[in-house]
Amino acid sequence: MPFSESQIEAFSSINDGSAFWKKGPKALDDIVTWQRIIRLDAVRMNAEWVPYSPSQANVSDEETSKVARKAGLSDDEHLETCRRYHAARLVSILEAYALYDPDTGYCQGMSDLLSPFVALMDDDHQAFWCFVSFMRTARHNFRLDEVGIRRQLNGTSDIIRVADPELYDHLVKIKAEDCTFVYRMVVVLFRRELTFEQTICLWEVIWADSTAMRTGKGVGEAQKKKKAPPTNDLLLYTIAAAVCRRRKFIMENCKGMDELLRECNAMAGTLDVWQMLDDARELVSRVHGRRPETPT
Amino acid sequence: MALSSSSSSVSGNEFDHLFKILLIGDSGVGKSSLLLRFTADTFDDLSPTIGVDFKLKLMTLEGKRLKLTIWDTAGQERFRTLTSSYYRGAQGVILVYDVTRRDTFTNLQDVWLKEVELYSTNQDCVKLLVGNKVDRDSERAVSQHEGIAFARKYGCLFLESSAKTRINVQQCFEELVRKILETPSLVAEAKSVKKNILRPGNEPPPPENAGSCAC
Repeated sequence: MPFSESQIEAFSSINDGSAFWKKGPKALDDIVTWQRIIRLDAVRMNAEWVPYSPSQANVSDEETSKVARKAGLSDDEHLETCRRYHAARLVSILEAYALYDPDTGYCQGMSDLLSPFVALMDDDHQAFWCFVSFMRTARHNFRLDEVGIRRQLNGTSDIIRVADPELYDHLVKIKAEDCTFVYRMVVVLFRRELTFEQTICLWEVIWADSTAMRTGKGVGEAQKKKKAPPTNDLLLYTIAAAVCRRRKFIMENCKGMDELLRECNAMAGTLDVWQMLDDARELVSRVHGRRPETPT
Repeated sequence: MALSSSSSSVSGNEFDHLFKILLIGDSGVGKSSLLLRFTADTFDDLSPTIGVDFKLKLMTLEGKRLKLTIWDTAGQERFRTLTSSYYRGAQGVILVYDVTRRDTFTNLQDVWLKEVELYSTNQDCVKLLVGNKVDRDSERAVSQHEGIAFARKYGCLFLESSAKTRINVQQCFEELVRKILETPSLVAEAKSVKKNILRPGNEPPPPENAGSCAC
């Protein structure tokens, strides 16, 4: 594994050295399963990142073979060199993450989330720690008890209910008000629907809002300027906005969850991220305006 | 999205039966590739499916115009109750394994068949066992005999296929649909589904439903 001893020590100190082993023999079964899926997913990662990472796009065959060997990668011979290199780095970091956070381990979708970090950072340790930080919120979506993902789906449903009651009534009628049709958007934060560059833009705006919420900066200013306040749920507002923008088509044509799901998955490649964010802000204003104040 | 435009140009009403088919099996066995080959006749390196994907296919078989809604599920099933809803109302289930990876075959018995038994709402739901990737015969880890024995034991149809070279892909779906057509309870159900779908949205629900809704 391409991690230095100091980094391995860092995992141990943070995790008390036992989070993984506390799980007993099952831990080993889990890691074998995760390893297998991580490898499968890593070699299937798309090459969209390549133009944004010239240094990694031009990585040598020699360096790639070294990294791929260290990661124990096989079944990757058909890939071009830079993609092999990317896949090997994904494997190393995802395996390290699975050990670091054994309650989450590995779940499909996490390779999509990690890929931009790996592409933009040449150092594995840097990409790893950024990913850890990112996963502090994203990991809830992968909780086995489904509490995290349900909260997000319900949150999206609530926003649509308040912002567009007519569309919501239609969703109820076709038994889709639980919003499972936006599952993919929630789990990989629009990574599948947007291009690489659009995804990065969206994620940064979402992080900026979370930072504003955490520090309190910009909240008062938004109030003064009568602009939409920052929110921790910007992703959900953005998803709701993408759905609401297709309200006409959905209400006229989608007569079941299947058609709705098809419509949502077909959004890939058709979205304008800035338009979507404008729409999302508009929804934030609308929902905050309509929703009764919750007592604090 | 050539498929969606071609299917939407055909009126959704012009079919005799609507069947729901589900693709399940471990990650990387080629479920999405089989579906892509069947619906668009192409083969590509595909990213892993997140949650579920969905495709439509119109076909004519034995003089019947059929509309297939095919649900392509993710191989790593982490969210059991969330994904159980995909099984609802399916007339056919395709259990896929990779003939070069033995674990994907054993998991059908250990994991996937149990899921079908647990969540399937149709007792007569037709099961088809598919061993994919036969183009890599030199790496084969599951023999055809084993596939046949498994299918016999669990009452499944059986085929070996390759999404890459097209072998048996069309046949997979056709055999499954043919068997569904031979199963009266499934055909009757598909008819009633069609009737519901054709009912205009603003029409009041039938009286027996209205009664129970009001309470």
